[in-house]
Amino acid sequence: MSRSKWVLPLGMMFLLVSCGEEVKKELPVLGPYKVVDEVVDGALVTDTMFTTVRPFSFTDQDSNEINHATVEGKVFVTDFFFTSCPTICPKMKQQMLRVYDAFDGESQLVLLSHSIDPIRDSVGRLKDYADKLGIQSDRWHMVTGNRDSIYSMAKHYMIAAQVDELAPGGYAHSGAFLLIDRNKQIRGIYDGTSEEEVDVLMEDIEWLLHE
Amino acid sequence: MSKTLGNLVLFTLLLAACDYKPRNQGKVLYERNCQSCHMESGQGLGRLLPPVANADYVLEHRAELACIIRHGISGPIQVNGVTYEGEMEGNRQLTDVEINNLVHFILVDLNKQKEHFVINEVRNQLEKCSSTR
Ligand code: HEC
Repeated sequence: MSRSKWVLPLGMMFLLVSCGEEVKKELPVLGPYKVVDEVVDGALVTDTMFTTVRPFSFTDQDSNEINHATVEGKVFVTDFFFTSCPTICPKMKQQMLRVYDAFDGESQLVLLSHSIDPIRDSVGRLKDYADKLGIQSDRWHMVTGNRDSIYSMAKHYMIAAQVDELAPGGYAHSGAFLLIDRNKQIRGIYDGTSEEEVDVLMEDIEWLLHE
Repeated sequence: MSKTLGNLVLFTLLLAACDYKPRNQGKVLYERNCQSCHMESGQGLGRLLPPVANADYVLEHRAELACIIRHGISGPIQVNGVTYEGEMEGNRQLTDVEINNLVHFILVDLNKQKEHFVINEVRNQLEKCSSTR
């Protein structure tokens, strides 16, 4: 009997066995990291330092200053859009609204949407947009600010999440949702226009909230 | 064996051909030009984007749909009791026939209407709004 005959049945058995187990989900930390050696209590310890989200400061739809302190110790989801965008943004907002609704009352989760058209998207315009979407700024901040700071922040997140700069629209207009943990480490990237991927995002949020 | 294969080929050909029916063209045009704003089943989004499925506005403005699609619409309108103050650009790239197929899809598939327009009616509507704008 040839060897290849065994491959299929064995593979199927393997699948059956692995399906039976409840696999505990581990979310990887994304982005570049450094390996550092440290001496702790006289012993050499090797530690991995992951990229963390750097400090920032923007203004939300209710004129609140939103910065790294706003998300301190919380899980957050972030994306980049603009209110007059006719292509992928309405879909992204429809999907982010699902996340907003699903985690109603969850104070440990913050949603943070940046406008990449901050000159036109004034605080007033973001307020109008947020009202029409039916959301409150205590859980979902739509922020505007200095254009360069917003673009460099987009680049910062996307490089960490390894988004291709050559993708249509570049870093800033990728349609991506990024998931960041309580330690400001990037733990997931999802296509914000895909219902299936946003389903996975919602499971992953649940996971991080209880991590 | 060759008979089943023949049937299979025929079946695939038929399936492929289905896509070119006018009403399917309406669906494809909707997905390409409208879905990004009016959403996959025409439900709209909050008070930002009005629904085009099960929408009283669509039924009450049947005779204007072709013109709305070609020339856009702006300013406050009421759809299912909700006021929208948005702006939609026109779709000048769509031909009369394409607009006809889109209107067909919106009325029949998204608003459960039985009757729909024939191409000449849509052409008449479009002629009226081309002179006023
Ligand atoms: C860029 C977003 C956008 C796209 C793309 C778009 N629309 Fe609209 N549409 C709107 C907005 C916003 C309004 C409301 C305008 C207002 O408030 O006056 C609207 C209104 C309408 C209305 C009248 C109100 C209603 O809901 O019945 C119809 C019909 C309509 N659109 C059909 C279409 C069709 C068909 C397409 C594709 C060819 C399309 N739209 C593409 C944004 C869009």
